[in-house]
Amino acid sequence: MIAAVWLRGPARARLHALRELYRRFFGENTPDARGRRLLAEWLSPAQRAQFEQHRYFDVVGCDTGKTYRIHYGTAANVHEIDEAGIATMGWCFVPSGFLVPGDVMLAQKIALETDERGALALANRFPAATHSEHFYRRPF
Amino acid sequence: MATQIVMDQTGDTRHEFDPGNAEALARAERRFRELTGAGFTAALRTGPGEVTRIRSFDPNVQETLFYPRLVGG
Repeated sequence: MIAAVWLRGPARARLHALRELYRRFFGENTPDARGRRLLAEWLSPAQRAQFEQHRYFDVVGCDTGKTYRIHYGTAANVHEIDEAGIATMGWCFVPSGFLVPGDVMLAQKIALETDERGALALANRFPAATHSEHFYRRPF
Repeated sequence: MATQIVMDQTGDTRHEFDPGNAEALARAERRFRELTGAGFTAALRTGPGEVTRIRSFDPNVQETLFYPRLVGG
């Protein structure tokens, strides 16, 4: 009864919205949602926070120490960035097969953090200015 | 229980096995060899957000992730 009174009006709407958000983000069992969950499990806390806020996260290449920004997507979604965070070059490499964005991004992270030169050796380069931020899909 | 996670079109497929069970362990090792032989990369977590690649089956690893061969996009 107390809860029913407490949850009147805006509070109930907020709770409903929160439940819906939780269900959509964590509760779905779609390939996309599974990929996002797997990605979130394997990101560092800083990368996870960055991804949740911006839909991308940064990784540091294990061989050169360069920083790469991995955007939500399945192709042409990796940019080398400078110290100011400005994209200087695009790198396109993906796992073969038709994987969901979370899986693609996780494979790219692991590749850059454990075998940067190998990943870049097979990647296709593209000008950094090819895509704007709006090019990349909204994950949720 | 240990887990082998294989990325695929469903998101991923998880194979759990008991490392104390010799038969299950042999199946897991066979799966490891088949996947890496087919071009999959095997990786594991060494800390929060820290990853490393492995090239041979380690029965002590609790979680191994496999992703398909990378190609230029």
